[in-house]
Amino acid sequence: MTSIFLTGLQYLGCILIFPGFLFCFFCGLLLTGIDRKLVARMQKRVGPPILQPFYDFFKLLGKETIVPAAASRTTFLLAPLVGLAALVVIQLFIPIYGFSAFSGMADIIVILYLLLIPALAAILGAAASGSPYAGVGLSREMVTIISCELPLVLVLLAVAKVVGNALGTGLCFSMTEIARYQVENGSLITKLSMIPAAVAFAMVIPGETGSHPFDTAEAETEICEGMHAEYSGAPLAVFKLSHAVKILTLTSLFVALFFGGIGTGIIAVDGVIVFALCVIATALFISFVHAVTARLKIEQVFKYYWTAVSGLALVSLVLAWYGL
Amino acid sequence: MNFTNMMDYHHFPIYAVMVLFLGAFVTMVCGTRPSKNPNNPAGLRAWIALCATGVSLLLLVLLIKPVMLGGETIAYWMGSRGIAGGYAIGIALEVDALSLFFALLIATAVFVSAIYSIRYMVHDDCVPQYYVLYCLLAGGVLGLVLSGDIFNMFVMVEILTFAAVALTAFRTRVYGALEAAFKYLVVGCMGSSAILTGVILLYAQYHTLNLAQLASLIPGSMNNATKLAFAFLYIGFSTKAFIVPFHPLAADAHGAAPASISVLISGVLTKSGIYGIIRLTWFLFQTMELGAMQFMLVFIGSVSMFVCVTMALAQHDFKRLLAYHSISQIGYVLTAVGLSTALGVSAGLYHAMNHTLFKGLLFLAAGAVLHETGTTDLGKLGGLSKKMPHTTVLFLIGAFSISGVPPFNGFASKWLIYQAAYQRAVETNNIGFLAAAVVALVTSTLTLASFVKVTQSVFFGQLPPEYENVKEVPFGMRLAMGILAVLCVLTGIFPNTVMSVLTEPAARAVASVGEYIMAMGFKATVPTPEVSFAHVGVWTPVNWLLILCIALLALTVAALAGRYDQVSASQGENVETKYQLFYGGEQNVYSQVGGGDLFWGFKHNWRHYFDFMHDLHSGVVNDYALWAVVALALAIMYMMIAL
Repeated sequence: MTSIFLTGLQYLGCILIFPGFLFCFFCGLLLTGIDRKLVARMQKRVGPPILQPFYDFFKLLGKETIVPAAASRTTFLLAPLVGLAALVVIQLFIPIYGFSAFSGMADIIVILYLLLIPALAAILGAAASGSPYAGVGLSREMVTIISCELPLVLVLLAVAKVVGNALGTGLCFSMTEIARYQVENGSLITKLSMIPAAVAFAMVIPGETGSHPFDTAEAETEICEGMHAEYSGAPLAVFKLSHAVKILTLTSLFVALFFGGIGTGIIAVDGVIVFALCVIATALFISFVHAVTARLKIEQVFKYYWTAVSGLALVSLVLAWYGL
Repeated sequence: MNFTNMMDYHHFPIYAVMVLFLGAFVTMVCGTRPSKNPNNPAGLRAWIALCATGVSLLLLVLLIKPVMLGGETIAYWMGSRGIAGGYAIGIALEVDALSLFFALLIATAVFVSAIYSIRYMVHDDCVPQYYVLYCLLAGGVLGLVLSGDIFNMFVMVEILTFAAVALTAFRTRVYGALEAAFKYLVVGCMGSSAILTGVILLYAQYHTLNLAQLASLIPGSMNNATKLAFAFLYIGFSTKAFIVPFHPLAADAHGAAPASISVLISGVLTKSGIYGIIRLTWFLFQTMELGAMQFMLVFIGSVSMFVCVTMALAQHDFKRLLAYHSISQIGYVLTAVGLSTALGVSAGLYHAMNHTLFKGLLFLAAGAVLHETGTTDLGKLGGLSKKMPHTTVLFLIGAFSISGVPPFNGFASKWLIYQAAYQRAVETNNIGFLAAAVVALVTSTLTLASFVKVTQSVFFGQLPPEYENVKEVPFGMRLAMGILAVLCVLTGIFPNTVMSVLTEPAARAVASVGEYIMAMGFKATVPTPEVSFAHVGVWTPVNWLLILCIALLALTVAALAGRYDQVSASQGENVETKYQLFYGGEQNVYSQVGGGDLFWGFKHNWRHYFDFMHDLHSGVVNDYALWAVVALALAIMYMMIAL
């Protein structure tokens, strides 16, 4: 009885503290802060303090929440919460080197589809607001999702094939197995066939998180933040937090897929290493790209992902197929 | 015959079919006097149809235990005839797990749709014809999947085709109904004739019409005439499943038919085509070992799913859009069946079941919108979620299911299909199967996009002034949708139960042709293979749901502890400026992004493809008849060369 209680408490701890809510909250917002600072420095601006996203978050919580007369109230208010909860649950399935809070529950294909839920929540919330700007925004967001889906699928299939080849099962979808393989054989990035896949995944990160130059769905200057046009106060704060957590999720997925197997076995140290790698990934793939590019049009986003990025991922898949 | 004997479950299949045909007859005879209840002029007829379909469903559910779990194959001779001189004489029913699986899907869809019809058809002036044809259609499809001989399959195909055509045409005042019915009639009859030709060719050679006996005779003695028969039969059943190149028919038929019939056409009729193709390829001709056959099914399945999902993206009518998605999902089923592994067949059947559930739900939701607003044009609708909250939630469940969003049922089956395809690719080292898996994964996202479009254009966005007085649909209609929605969720979060009770026995039956032959009393030379449903993926929906609920609960508590629920919203008629939508300083006018243009960014890159498709689908029945002829010619050539 006591042991069941303790196990339950442990799982609850995982969900609420590490690697659940609290971890996501701090690390996600910290990543956004670092990103904003770096972009500013690259553009020769001073930039906000690194803790600015925290200030913004709490400031928004104190603001008035306005529900437009045209909105469907329940969906409008519930969507941000569902999106954030779904994101945090995905974070629980991504192993931190040897440690995974809940193993044997979802494989990489499931994670790919679980990633749709937060985006879908944002889309439904935007649709429920009734704003025409949100309508344009959600249309672009959906096209961005379609754009990123093909390269992501190809990358994940390539990873499944490489790990499956090594394990002798032919293919492997399990996140835990992929982590274990990397502990035994070194990081996947060291495999020749995985380098294009890693590059493709890195290129998908800004698209999935909606940062420059793929932020067509938000595009403050044309469609007034698009999907968030009618949001204010606490729901907006939750959306901002979701955006921050999404950066963390994607970068840590990137680390788990390609830079696994270099952990120490001590969870606290591993957590720090993973976070450090996430910061580097954010700096390279989000901040740097953000600082040097201008926003693309939506049809250019689609074309870019379905040609250049998918091509890279396809190269990787073909190499993996022939056992390289 | 005493009562105990009559209640022997071996009689249940024929009862299940009979009760529907009886229902068709009784609805014609009874209820001729106008009902006194102004709310329900159909009166007695609706209840007779409901009872007939309900009894039919009950009888089939009672068969789950012996057939699905007990592994029995029921062989039933009508009029106590049987085998004489080594040949099957007389009409036989043969029910293995595969037949029962499809029969259960059909009976469920028919029953739920009958519940829906009670209120949906109230104000229609063609109710008498409706219920007769409804029962005939249901009986025809059920008879088709339970039949044990191929000529009866043809007879049932005729019944269901004519019932479906008549149900498309019977509301002659609906725009396009006659045109749609005419198209369907022409191409449908070509399909039926093809089936008849195939049956004749087989009978001429093997002197029997019994499926089991044909299955024992054909595989050893394939010649050109047999291959010709195969091609004819395949094309015939393709027209019933509406797979490429017969997809344009479905769109017209669904657009014109009442929603409750669209459920049947999409959830039931297409299944009869898929059932026919499975019977042909796995049982009669036993060609699934051949790479050429696998290639054909996987190729046509993949083309169907991709072409139809892109066709759906270009639609701006709710029901036509759903019609194309219907065929796209049938493409998944065909691809999975074509993989020729036990896991693939199981996944395909699982998806077929889910398709019946979620597509039924979506068509009923479309019907609810049509019932209240009088239109299904995506460009004219909007903002209905405030007027029809229950319908919106039910529609969203259906939309999430079909788009493969976890944890709904569409995801569970699609996820198995991806794995089956990839596993098959690795086993055979054939990159074609891998391509099919990628197409399936991408199609799923495009499906989601398409349903985001519907959600945005119908249920969210701004409410046009003419729909200010729209109300929620009556309880009876919501009940029907609710049943399907609950089933969508349950089959999504308990995939293992569904698989072990329904799809795996059916897939095992597909693999064991020998037992099917022997149950009828013929000699089988095919050994029953060991089948494995092992797959590498992991997905435990219940646990995930539990974690999500805890996370959501924690978040909600935190949000309520903050000031999340203290929102300010407008009160009364006069809307303050801050509660109006932001229009960048312009005056507040009604503005909505049109449904057809929502995914411009995607369509722009594919404009040549869409232009090509637009030109190809001329809407002229002559063209579609020509397609059918060309498809038949190609099928004959392919079968002759490849088999």
